[in-house]
Amino acid sequence: MTLAAPMESNSNGGALARAFAALIRPRNLALIACVLIAGWLVFVPLAALFYTAFTEDTGFGPGPASLSNFVQAYSSWHIVRLFGNSLIFAAGTAVLTLLMGGFVAFVVERTDAPLGPLFHSLALLSFAIPGLLTAMAWIFVLSPNIGWVNALMKNWFGLSEGPFSIYSMGGMIWALASHYFPLAYLALGPALRVLDVRLEEAALVSGARYWQVMPKITLPLLRPAILSTMLLLFMLGMSSYEVPRLIGRPARIDVFTTEIQAATQNAPPEFGISSALGMTLLLICVVAVIFYRRATRNAEAFATITGKGYMPTRIKLRKWRWPVAIGVLFMFLLALGLPLLTLVWQSFFRNLAQPFIGSGSPATWENYEFILRYPIFLDAVKTSVSLAAMAATIVVALTFVMAWIALRAAPKSGWLLDSIAFTPIAMPHVIVGAAILFAYLMLPIPVYNTIWILLIAYVTLYLPYGMRFTSGGLTQIHKELEEVAEVSGARMRQIFFRILLPLLAPVLLAAWIYIFVLAVRELGASVFLVGPGTHVLGTISLTMWEEGGSYGAVSALGVIQIIPLIMIVAGLRWLELRVQRRSEAAAAKAQAAGQ
Amino acid sequence: MFAIENLRKTFVAPGNVVVNAVDGINLGIGDGKLITLLGPSGCGKTTTLRCLAGLERPEAGRIVIAGQTVCDTARGIFVPPSDRGIGMVFQSYAIWPHMTVFENVAFPLRVARDRKYSAADVKEKVLRALEMVRMSGYETRPATQLSGGQQQRLAFARGLVREPQILLLDEPLSNLDAKLREQMRVELKLLQKRLAITTVYVTHDQSEALALSDEIVVFNFGKIIQRGTPQEIYRQPKSQFVADFIGSANFLKGKVKDVRAAERVAVVETRHGSFGCIFGQMVSPGQDVLVSARPEDFVLSDKPPGEGLNAITGKILHRVFLGEVVDYLVDAGDGEIRIRSKPEAEFQVGQAVHLGVSPQKCVALPS
Repeated sequence: MTLAAPMESNSNGGALARAFAALIRPRNLALIACVLIAGWLVFVPLAALFYTAFTEDTGFGPGPASLSNFVQAYSSWHIVRLFGNSLIFAAGTAVLTLLMGGFVAFVVERTDAPLGPLFHSLALLSFAIPGLLTAMAWIFVLSPNIGWVNALMKNWFGLSEGPFSIYSMGGMIWALASHYFPLAYLALGPALRVLDVRLEEAALVSGARYWQVMPKITLPLLRPAILSTMLLLFMLGMSSYEVPRLIGRPARIDVFTTEIQAATQNAPPEFGISSALGMTLLLICVVAVIFYRRATRNAEAFATITGKGYMPTRIKLRKWRWPVAIGVLFMFLLALGLPLLTLVWQSFFRNLAQPFIGSGSPATWENYEFILRYPIFLDAVKTSVSLAAMAATIVVALTFVMAWIALRAAPKSGWLLDSIAFTPIAMPHVIVGAAILFAYLMLPIPVYNTIWILLIAYVTLYLPYGMRFTSGGLTQIHKELEEVAEVSGARMRQIFFRILLPLLAPVLLAAWIYIFVLAVRELGASVFLVGPGTHVLGTISLTMWEEGGSYGAVSALGVIQIIPLIMIVAGLRWLELRVQRRSEAAAAKAQAAGQ
Repeated sequence: MFAIENLRKTFVAPGNVVVNAVDGINLGIGDGKLITLLGPSGCGKTTTLRCLAGLERPEAGRIVIAGQTVCDTARGIFVPPSDRGIGMVFQSYAIWPHMTVFENVAFPLRVARDRKYSAADVKEKVLRALEMVRMSGYETRPATQLSGGQQQRLAFARGLVREPQILLLDEPLSNLDAKLREQMRVELKLLQKRLAITTVYVTHDQSEALALSDEIVVFNFGKIIQRGTPQEIYRQPKSQFVADFIGSANFLKGKVKDVRAAERVAVVETRHGSFGCIFGQMVSPGQDVLVSARPEDFVLSDKPPGEGLNAITGKILHRVFLGEVVDYLVDAGDGEIRIRSKPEAEFQVGQAVHLGVSPQKCVALPS
């Protein structure tokens, strides 16, 4: 075989030549390219953020090094309130979300209540709903002025004022928790599922009473999972932008995310102050991520102690089976159904239309007709969909290669690729938006005020999601499947296209759809990066809401976005179930063949 | 057929400990033979095989397969696995689940670069390979709908379809259940003999190694401990490790009294008197040695053993009935001796017994 010839180096070339030869091996070149691309995406904006924060804000870009931004940002009493609001909002959301999600997880995973699969599907569907639209819908439901539930209460009980106000800390927490509780369920579910009941039974056999098992065995075993979910939710609350923007700002309850964005909108824009405030938010999130990763590591350590061949025994609810299931269903209806249906209802009336109260005019399609002919909307759909598709494609392709290198080709440098790809997890969307804005205003790369700057932001934001999907999928594929192809005579390219790609296709498709949906509904970073000529769905919805579009038109705009998103996510779920069922059927047939 | 010279491969274990997985191995074998690399896990046998396949890059060493140098670290030669012309069967079988049986076997032909196979060629070769492993008729089955034994056969068909110069087997039988494993062992041996293909077989199962091999290479700590035919390895172990790892052995302490080098016989003074022994590794008078004897080589009796046998007296401590054989544990005063005997004669726990063992079955090992 002559193929060995080009690999032979001129014998006495020495260690340096051999090191260079090793460096330009294709897999090493790919490694270097991945590190450079991902590193650029993540660290250049961060550097710009730090640079902007620690230099004087001259109004024409950063000047000499200075701490003046920090002095200005942190010297008024306002900062104490900002801190307090942000922490209460994030912590409150985390606690309420955990309680709601924990209840669902417990019912679905540990009791024999019916409808478990339905709840799981509903929880996944909730991903499709943009946070901006839930916040908007809750205003229609619970605002002291226009909220129909308040109006209904006033009618029924003869109150002079509505009993609820969405424009309060409690209202903000409720609006976010109602959106995130399915996430808490999805995060806690697996921990409850793998919890070995025999550990509980061992406690019972050892003489513990039923009421002692929960606090002494079950909760301590679940502690890592609960803690990590709490931290995740806290971080999400800290980074949340939509609810504070729509509900917090009118109520004068400012948090870091809204202040960071507001500072860039001042005239003249205060980039220095914005980035100085960003430092605190970033620090809080980084600390939370560090604790989160530690907690999930512990969770894995706990998971390994569960036995094999575990048979789930569920708590028998007997006559309470249906009441409990209906209770959970009611929670889903209250938290997700109520705002959505309100939005749908409102979308058929031009002016304020309160369900059960009256609208003053007949139902009409005119709002939809208006939106579908609205040029900015059509423009935004085109931009959002193509941006999301591009971002999903780039992220999936890039992280596929990165995951392969990290797990297979160069496992020693895997931690480097892993840490780069996961860094954006600790960066709230507003931080990414601000940092990318500052970076590309300074750099001589003309992407500002184009859709490309949005693409850069989306790719950066969803790098961790892509990496989680692809590396998770790749670890499921036995390394020997690739090795035997290599031994069989296949080249790298053939292994990629004939073995890895077909095997990973379901995972890559799921990752693509997931990232696509998240990117379509993105707002926190987009608000920094849209220019006069670029519109995305999130920003036009926000603009229409704040700049006085009719209630009906805004609602129709929301419903038009939600329906395709729900259909996409439902399609993804259907695909997942099909793949799952097919592999189960295959496993059953293989077992039959073995007998 | 292949030769390995001074192969060296290290791994960095957690905690930055450098492990010599393969520590200067030299190995070669002729055409058509089946050689087994045997040893406990982590002994370097699998790493050696993977270096041979090109799946690991050694730090140092030279590997020649069928006259072609595929690896020479001194000259910077490294031929990738795809160009080494080998067939390989993995422990997990590594059957591609997204392909049918036919496509799995056809893959090596479809990606071949040294020659183009026409559709008819591919079909003919695949069917022949499947027939060889008695899997005809399964061509259109999805690979996921095969039992463990069928996946195993499929993996062999795929490994053989290119008619490789050398077949590498990485514990191919270890995932099968005991009965199927014995059946496949026989089939594998017949197939290998029929095709006369040079085969390297990695296993940690000594009975597999004894049953299949033309030659066994015993590994430990990245080094070759002993090499020989199954009979040599079993009958004339050169160290306590080999005696203990292959089969089971009793060890008695002793001192060499006399050596008759020409006959390769030694007389060893033990606590039970003078023992006649053979030896694999040369011993000299006055040396401390261990006398190794297999449990099944003892004759158990209530009378002293006949002339010419090494004799031990003891008391039965424990008895385990296993059906075709009975295992006894005998207290011999300075230690316990395990004995495996036919169930004809029954001995009771507590009974005083005489043990006899032929000098040809006792091996003196340097201690």
